Amino acid sequence: MRRSVRRITGLLTVSMLAVVAPAMAADTPGSRPDLSGVWEVTMGVRTRPGPGMPEQPSLTPEYAQKLAGFKAAQARGDYQETPQANCVPPGMPGIMNQPYPMELLFTPGKVTIVIEAYSQTRRIFMDGRKHPDDPDLTYNGHSIGHWDGDTLVVDSVGFTPDTALGPSQGYRHSDQMHIVERFRLTAPDIMEVVTTIDDPKALTKPMTATKVLRRHPDWDIAEYICEQNNRNLSDDKGKAGIILNH
Amino acid sequence: MKPNATRIRTGALWLTLAALPTAVLAHHSYAMFDMSQTVTLQGTIRDFQWTNPHSWIWIDVPNAQGTAEQWGIEGMSPNYLARRGWSKHTLKPGDKVSVLIHPLKGSERGGSFLSVTLADGSVMRQSGGPPPPASSAP
Repeated sequence: MRRSVRRITGLLTVSMLAVVAPAMAADTPGSRPDLSGVWEVTMGVRTRPGPGMPEQPSLTPEYAQKLAGFKAAQARGDYQETPQANCVPPGMPGIMNQPYPMELLFTPGKVTIVIEAYSQTRRIFMDGRKHPDDPDLTYNGHSIGHWDGDTLVVDSVGFTPDTALGPSQGYRHSDQMHIVERFRLTAPDIMEVVTTIDDPKALTKPMTATKVLRRHPDWDIAEYICEQNNRNLSDDKGKAGIILNH
Repeated sequence: MKPNATRIRTGALWLTLAALPTAVLAHHSYAMFDMSQTVTLQGTIRDFQWTNPHSWIWIDVPNAQGTAEQWGIEGMSPNYLARRGWSKHTLKPGDKVSVLIHPLKGSERGGSFLSVTLADGSVMRQSGGPPPPASSAP
């Protein structure tokens, strides 16, 4: 009799665990997918809304006019070069689309993205804080994150309008740009990042792009000092130059 | 002109562009290079700068009078190249090589790196992948 009770109790315990475990998955660190490591954006799928060509930003009249002015200046020979030729980092969202790897580090209350290109760092606060009411405007913005099941969701605001929206320097964004990134494993070493950008001043509708990154367990992030031997330059009109003295 | 430099029109510009790693694009545009031209430089390595944001190959190329003229060739960063089979020792001063480039617009002696054929005949591209088909090389 006692044995039977014990057996039933044991079975119940196992059953309860089985029921409870999936519900806990979203909140238990050990149960979350491991997104840590060194990742590189795979070529050919940098920014795409789905199969086919990348989605073009749908600009408001004010920002369409900025683009038209940029293209007219380009036709006159200006703006052939970007500020990156002078080692100015591209800021968000461009910094996440570089052909150099990035490392995701998970520590209590924070995810840190160490980006090799231009030696950039993004800090994503996971401790429950909100965005500042009046954030200082920066290249990479202010980021807070949380888990939505198996997906790391990163919400960023506070971007300086000094940087471009892309795909070219003519596409600008405002200080109201808002970016949501959803990081999710689709295979053991493949991560999909769905990026949605809205900007009430610059865009008439949000734009979404999906990129795929591959994890390289045998890679380390290397030093990237852009000013070390930079022989490219962009003058104040965006004219390209090159320094050939040696 | 540019003596000892074989200049051809590729005609297949988009194929060439497609083969280019986009990493260079990340740092600067190609506005200064003539992407419709491909030039082969045969000469001797003077220096190989294994530096960011670009590696630089400095090569002495003899002109028609036999005088060495220095060319500067911009390549990918060591970060990119080291993950694709290159090292700081891939090119050494004194090495006799043949370098395929897109030349600068204008008369300055410089260009954007495409591939290098080493003295032993092996070909190194920035991607570390197989060399382009022989038909597309001069």
